[in-house]
Parts: sequence; C-alpha cells; structure tokens
Amino acid sequence: MSNISLTIDGKNIKAEKGTTIIQAAKNADIDIPNLCHDDRLEPYGACRFCMVEIEKNGWKKLVASCCYPIEEGLIVNTKTEKVKNIRKMLIELLLAVSPSGSHTSLAKEYGIKESRFKLETPPESPCDLCGLCVRYCAEIKKKNAVCFVGRGVNRSVALVPGVSDACSSCRECFDVCDAGKMVYLVDMVQDISCSSLKSKFYQNP
Amino acid sequence: MKKGRAKSHFVGVRLTEIQKEALSKLEKRSDMSKTDILMRGLELLSEYYSLGLDRPPLNVELRELEKEAMHHFKELKRIKHKEESVREMVQELRDVDKIIDEYNGDKSALIQILLKIQANNHWLPKPALMWVSERLDVPMSQVLNIATFYKAFSLDPKGKHLVRVCLGTACHVRGGPKILDAAEQFLGIESGGTTTDLNFTLEGVNCLGCCALGPVMMVDDTHYGKLDPSNVGEILSKYIVDSAGKTDARKELPQIKNEIRSS
Amino acid sequence: MNKLQSASDVEKLRKTLLNLKNNKKSCISICSGTGCHAYSSDKVVGAFEKELKKHNLENEVEIKRTGCHGFCEKGPIVVIYPEEICYLQVKVEDVQDIISLTIKSGVIIERLLYTDLKTGKKIVHESDIPFYKNQTRLIFGNNRKIESKSIDDYITLNGYNALAKALSEMTPEKVLQEIKKANLRGRGGGGFPAGRKWESVRNAPGEPKYVIVNCDEGDPGAYMDRSLMEGNPHSVIEGLIIGAYAIGSNEGYIYVRQEYPLAVENTELAVKQAEEYGLLGKNILGSGFDFSIKIHMGAGAFVSGESSALMSAIEGKVGEPRPKYVHTSEKGLWDKPTCLNNVETWVNVPFIINKGADWFRKMGTENSTGTKIFSLVGNVNNTGLVEVPMGMTLREIIYDIGGGIPNGKKFKAVQTGGPSGGCIPEKQLDLPVDFDELNKVESMMGSGGMIVMDEDTCMVDIARYFVKFLSDESCGKCIPCREGLRHMLRILNSITTGKATESDIKLLEELSATIQAASLCALGQTAPNPVLSTLKYFRKEYEAHLRGECPAKVCKDLIQYYINPEKCKGCGLCIKKCPTGVISGQKKGVHTIDVTKCIKCGACLEACNFDAVLKLSGKDRKKINEQVIGG
Repeated sequence: MSNISLTIDGKNIKAEKGTTIIQAAKNADIDIPNLCHDDRLEPYGACRFCMVEIEKNGWKKLVASCCYPIEEGLIVNTKTEKVKNIRKMLIELLLAVSPSGSHTSLAKEYGIKESRFKLETPPESPCDLCGLCVRYCAEIKKKNAVCFVGRGVNRSVALVPGVSDACSSCRECFDVCDAGKMVYLVDMVQDISCSSLKSKFYQNP
Repeated sequence: MKKGRAKSHFVGVRLTEIQKEALSKLEKRSDMSKTDILMRGLELLSEYYSLGLDRPPLNVELRELEKEAMHHFKELKRIKHKEESVREMVQELRDVDKIIDEYNGDKSALIQILLKIQANNHWLPKPALMWVSERLDVPMSQVLNIATFYKAFSLDPKGKHLVRVCLGTACHVRGGPKILDAAEQFLGIESGGTTTDLNFTLEGVNCLGCCALGPVMMVDDTHYGKLDPSNVGEILSKYIVDSAGKTDARKELPQIKNEIRSS
Repeated sequence: MNKLQSASDVEKLRKTLLNLKNNKKSCISICSGTGCHAYSSDKVVGAFEKELKKHNLENEVEIKRTGCHGFCEKGPIVVIYPEEICYLQVKVEDVQDIISLTIKSGVIIERLLYTDLKTGKKIVHESDIPFYKNQTRLIFGNNRKIESKSIDDYITLNGYNALAKALSEMTPEKVLQEIKKANLRGRGGGGFPAGRKWESVRNAPGEPKYVIVNCDEGDPGAYMDRSLMEGNPHSVIEGLIIGAYAIGSNEGYIYVRQEYPLAVENTELAVKQAEEYGLLGKNILGSGFDFSIKIHMGAGAFVSGESSALMSAIEGKVGEPRPKYVHTSEKGLWDKPTCLNNVETWVNVPFIINKGADWFRKMGTENSTGTKIFSLVGNVNNTGLVEVPMGMTLREIIYDIGGGIPNGKKFKAVQTGGPSGGCIPEKQLDLPVDFDELNKVESMMGSGGMIVMDEDTCMVDIARYFVKFLSDESCGKCIPCREGLRHMLRILNSITTGKATESDIKLLEELSATIQAASLCALGQTAPNPVLSTLKYFRKEYEAHLRGECPAKVCKDLIQYYINPEKCKGCGLCIKKCPTGVISGQKKGVHTIDVTKCIKCGACLEACNFDAVLKLSGKDRKKINEQVIGG
C-alpha cells in the first residue's frame, strides 16, 4: 500500500491509496460535516455537506470529500467562504423540510436561525433522504427491507411489504438514522408515505 | 429455472417455522423452484374450484395469492369469482414467465422486463412485481425503486385511452399548456389521473418530437396537431363509449354554456 | 443470404445491388419518420401502392419509405427521383394526380410545390428550396434516399465501406489517430473530443471494454437522434463497430428511449440484418474481430441520459447518476472501461474513415470541425431538422434556412442547449454556432435544440418552464438539486403570479449559485442556466413582473382579456367559442367578458375577425378596471 501525502486545512497528512478525503481527514482528527456518510457503507454523495475545495495543478475545484479519492500533493480546504456558503444554503433548504434533525446542530454552528424557504405542506416525515437506512439494510444486514420509492421531490423511504414484517426483531436502522425519524418510519408500516404503495400493498394487512 | 433457497419470506408472505420446514422438504424432493411450486399450487386450486369445491385446505401462501388475485381484479373493475380470479392470475404470471425467459432470467434486464409487462398490461400489477423479484433473485426493494422511479411505469391500472398532451418547449411556446387545461376540464380529472370509469388517462408529457404540428395531443397512437383549446372536447368525445357500447357525445358538459343570444 | 466474408464482398454486393436498381425508372421517396407519420404519411404510402398497382407500374416505379427528410413543417414530403421533384404537404387525395400527371406524363403539379417566401415563385427541385439549399446535409442527406428498414439500400450508398476499409487496411491505432486528427467533438452536448475519450478507454486497464450509443435524447424540442436512429440505423451501427475496433471492445449497447417506438423497431431490425450479413458477430469480414450489440430501452427519465445514470440503468439498477471523480472511461459499465457517445457522434465516424480527417477538418471551424444537426422549432416558419457546418451564424440558420418568424412577429430570443442552455437575444444573432462561441454568451450548443421565440413569449415563463421540467426530472438524490429546484420553482411561480419582490430575485440568484456549485451531476449543475441567462438579457421583464405586469401578456394572473367596444361588431363568434360561457352581449351589440370568471384560454381572441379582443397587462389593465369600477 503506497502512502500518499496531501494537505488538509494546512495540515500535512499521509494516508493509503484508495482512501477518500473525508476518511483521511477523520484519521487526522479533522471533522468534515456530513449527513449521509458512514465508514461502513459505500460512499453515496447525496447530502453535499461534505463539499470541500481542492487545489491541484494550479486549479481549484469543489468536490464531495466522501467520494473523492486522495491524490499525491492534493491541497484541501474544508472551510473556505464558498464551502461555508454552500453549507449555509443547504441548512436553510433542510430547515424548510423539517425543524428537527442533525442539520439543526449545523444550523447553530453556522449561525442560521431561520430559513428563507417555506413549504406550503411540509412533508409528513422529516426525512432528509440521506439513505443511511436503505444502504445499511442492503449492504450490512443484506435484508433489503427498506427502499427508496419515487423520484425528485416525491422521493421517499418506504418499508418493503412482506420483507419488513421481520423488522421489529432487528431495528438496527434506528442507530444509523437521526433520532426520531426511524421510529416514525417503522410505526408507519400501515401508513406508508408513498401513496401508490399505500393503496397497492396494504389493502390486505 | 433455478432451485429455490429456503427463505423466511416468500412472495410477500411470512412463513411459520412448520410451514418453512414443510416447504423445504418439498423442494428437496423435486428440482422445482419456489415459483414452480407456487404455480402448480395455483393451477390445482383453480381446478379444485372448477369442480365446485369451495373450501379447499389452503396453505398460507396460496391463501395470500388467492386474496391477491381477487384484489387485483377488483382494481381492474372486474370483480370475479375466486375461480376465475385464480385462473386469470395463473395466466398473467405465465405471461410474465415468458417475458423473463426471453431475457434468460438476466438480472440486468430488469427494466426491460418491466417495460414489457407494462406494455402488455398497461400497468405493473403487484403479483407480477413479486414474481419478477422472485425469479430474477432481485430484492423487492430494487424492483419497487425502479417501478416508482420511471414515468413509463404505473402501479395503478391505466385507462383504456391514453391522452398525452405535449408539453415540450416548442409546443409550450405555441400554447401547449392551454390544451392540457382544456383536456383536464373536459375529462374532469387532473393531469396524471384516470377517469373513474377507467376510460381515459390524461398525461402531460415531454416532447413528442413532432414540433411542426404543435401544439400536439395524442390519443393512443393518433396525433392531433395545430390545436386550439376549443378542438379538444370534440376530439375526445369521439372516444367516449356509453354503457350501451355506443360512441356518444358526452352526457353532461363540464360547464353549461349560458344561453345569451336571443333568437 | 450468404454472410459477407471479406472486405471485397461488401464492394461486390454493392455492385450487384446497383445493377438491380438501374432497372427501375423512377423512385418515389416518401418520408415515413415519426413526424410525418403524425401527418398520416403511412396513408399516403398506401395510396401510392394502390395507385401504382392500378396502373401496372409496380415494376417500373419504386417506393421507398424513408426516414425523416428534415423539412417537418411541410410534411408529408414526397421526392421523385431521378428528377428530384419535391412535393410538399402531400395528401392521400393528391396521389392520383402525382401518378397520372407527374410519373406517367412528366407534368409538374404546381399546387404541391414550395413557394419562395420572398419572391413568391414556385420551386421544383429539392436542392433549390432555400431550406435545403443553405444546408450541408452530410450526415442527414442519406435519410431521404434509403428505405429505413433496408440494409441493401444502405449498402448501395456506400454503406459499410468504411467498416470494410478499417478492418482490412487499418490497425485499431490508425483508426483512432484518424478520429483524433479530425477533432470530432461529442455531439450530445458536452463537446468533448471523441478521439481523446476513445484513447483513454483504450488505454484504461480492465477487460472487457464496452461501447455505448446514447439515444436517450431527452431535451424537449430536440429529435435529431430519433430521426437518425429511425431513418438510418445502419449508419449508427457502422460507426459503433468501427469505434469498437479502435477501442478494443467486443460488446456494445444501444440505449434508446422507449418513447421512440419506431426507432426501437428499426434498430432491432437493423441489428438482426447486420448479424445475418456477418457484419456483426464473430470474425467480422474475416478480420478476426468479434463484436455484438444489445439494445436497451429507457423507461422515461431525463436524468437517465446522463452517462453514469445510463450505465446504471443498463446494469438493471435505477438510473441515477453517481459522482464521477473516476471517469466512466476507466470505470463505467460494471466498473469496466466504457466509451459512451451520442448517436450523431457515431454517425460521423464512417465519413471520417471513408474520406479522411483532412477532408472533415475543411468543414466547420478550427475547434469545432464538421457539421451539426439542429432541430429548428418553435416560432419559426420552416420548422424542421437542419444540418449546417459549424460556424454558420444563428441569423443565417433562423432566417435563411428557417425563413424567419411567422405571422409578421418580431424575433425575441432563441433557446439553445435544452434545459442546460440559455436564451440568446437579438443582439447576438450574428454569433457563429459552435461549441465555444455559445459558451461565451452563457448558453451552450447542447444536443442541438434551437427553439425560436417571438415577441409574444414571456421569458420569465420560459425560465419557469425549464425549472419545472428539471424539478420533475430530478432524481432527488442530492439536496441542492431536489430541494433547490423546488424552491426556485416556487419563487418563479410567485414572480409569474405577481406576488414576488426584489429580494426574491436575489434569493433566486443565490440559490442558483449553490445549485451550480454543489449538485451531484450535470442536470443540477446546469439547471440554473435558463434562469441566469434570462436574468442577464431580460432582467427588465422580471422587474416588470414585480410591478404586476407581464410585458409579453402570457402570465395568466397578470393579464386580462378585454373586448374593445369601438371595434366589437357583436357577431357572437367569441360567445360561441368561449368554453366557460363568460362573454355576454346582444346580437350586433357590444360584447363584454366577465373577468371574474374568465379562465384566460384565449379562444375569444383566436375567434375574433375584427381585432376587437385585447390582452391587457400592467397599466392598461389597471386603467380599464378603474374605468369599469368608476362607470
């Protein structure tokens, strides 16, 4: 395993080839905010909170640190103005969806008290679609009891009918989910958010 | 067909320990897959009913499938007797088997298989999805994700006539949205919906690629072009069939026109 | 049919087929692409067949059901060869005359000819019609000469000659170098040099390698790829095989969207035919090179046209993009090196191999060589598909070829690049169209959609249209695109309903910056472009909306229909056409519209022959309302 040298926030770091920036940073005690990253799971790149500014061969670029593999001589900055502005906007967008969740601690950190965005009908579930439950159940438990349904703003998480009947004995997705959301989800077995699934699959409980 | 593995879930139904054991014994004896076994069970069931025997000793899976079959045909507004429901479902699942065999049970052909099922049935019935998941050995989570991601698929039965109003950019600048409004008014449903008599489904769609004809509306495979909102009702009335099976003008107009002019 | 065993077999077959052809006197080519099919061209074909039988001319006159001819505004199009007589808007009722007059007696039927918009003269020959004359129909030209379901027709036009040449006279490396030298850039939108992409796939470690044709043409208003795939599928297949040979791939995929059923049908047939002729399969033309093609259909998702999403879909997974820090040329389909190119890119390949890179470079501009097919649609006289050399100006395309704006209206903007592009105003009309010039004015060439907009178009409404499209098509995976576009749409909706303020426009600009910078894929990253470009060139329109006025009189909440009492003749036509019955008035008396109930469909304005119906917005609207209330 070759060792690669790079700089994160001015700190000189060495890490193995194939490591992502977020992992290399974590190993060096540098915390990059994120909602959808978990070391045990494949990188997903959905929340975009982990965006950082990299400098390579003289040009700068914004990349998702959870997916970008480290390179020799890479210069990484995790707190530039551009990066902070992105995070602030993302926080505002999530606050419109729900007043609770891990983005609230980020809101405090970035000094955001309220969002300029409002939804007429906030969704039933405060889910931010980080996908940790879906991916955990698929990759670690290999049960595939939770899935994504729908697309775009209609995208949501649902329990797979039939398969999820055994979930009460497991409940490990609770630990990966932000507190409160997964409880809400499992209690919704009879009341799935995706309307077509609701009528199609739960007529005969 | 592959040999089935003992699972604690089978086609959406949970098995008790005793049932699991009984099923695995059956599998060990024959080289039939789970879906083969179930299909045989359904066929036997249908024969059982045709002999006039009403309460066969069903195991859990078959009872569930029977419930599914009846629910399925209720949705299609064809309320059927148990026997017919089961028989028709066997046929539908056999059709799904044929499609899967065309693709040699290849997992990566999942989307292609669902497209064929959608084309044949005009929707994706739940039993078909479960059957595909079982035969391709693809988790139901993936099947559901794909079935709800793409516009081509519908988890609800669609109407007999598919009305598509083009909302591509070229039609948009020629007044496409007004055509959609007129269609919504006439049919009494919103875009994306189906009339309660399952006669029409109305959709606003992305570019149909006949921009010279814009604004364009398609009913099934027929194009109607260079429209203005007042043509829409006339065109759609041609497709309305009353209970006697005759094509007739719509019985009630969505808005009653004021009779203003004196004769 | 015996399989073609060598390069010379292709040439032998071509000569045999040409000899057979010479026996027929005339050929009637009838456009049977989806566009003309919508005009019932299939009925016209049927009528021709019947009429020829009636006159016993079946052995002397050939009928070809061809692919799209391009002049879609005037379909169904019929061209009679060898004279090249071009008849437009041909109906079933015209067929009798065409056979008895033109075919049998050589008499031209004036009423079916093109009328020059400027001189009023009738034009007989296809190549004299300004729409066609000003184009360079290198790739698209063959569409009108071949029966789309016939491989033999393609071969008579030199089809598969480039493949034979490549496999028998050139090494894969040499083919690659020729494409690089030609500087062929991707025609799907990105404009990335195809030769460089091919090279990186060729050099990437890993086997097997894959090649893919992207026919998931999702840009609304663009249908070039459909017309190529329907009309000349073999040209795509030939290009793909040559590319695969150069790259070192033995497996190819053609991804066609399911909304193109005729393209799917013709492509499936073409692949079967090529297999029968030995042009696909093992040991093609005795070269030792194996290659096979699978066809994969899309299922209705714009985002699945993005290369990493498309590859996911082929793998049987949901068609969502993934972060592309490791390029798909290294890790693509099943994590193997994959080369994905657009339909039009592949079609250019046989031409470059046949005639050489130097010949190709003579067309176009230095950095954008060759030609490009555009779909010229919207508020333009000659709607259709046009092929021009890169570097022709927008003005030449819209006016010389497109015939300008219909109904005496003024040009306002032309939208290029689909939902990722921007709107170009009149002052930029002399811009040469190529990859780089359009980027300079904050638009992009994209896949070739060119939507012309006249003075009755509201640019804010257009921006809202595109944001709605993208919000609907967003896969929803990443927050900036899913949530950001949702709120951009809400803001644009409030602007078009007169409920927004200046701070909303600032918020729109801030949101745009985040969505551009932080989105996972190109759909999100380019989504703000239509908004940003309309803000740049048409900011005054946005500001007018803030004051409650829609200058183009499109946005329903900001307009009102009004009958001018001085012009109204009381004929009652508008009352008849009104779908909601809100117009009242006596015969020969002034009619009035109840604005509280009017749904603003515009039927009355279309119906009125006296220009008495007006659309009011802003100050005019306020004035009339005050009068009404006052009166």
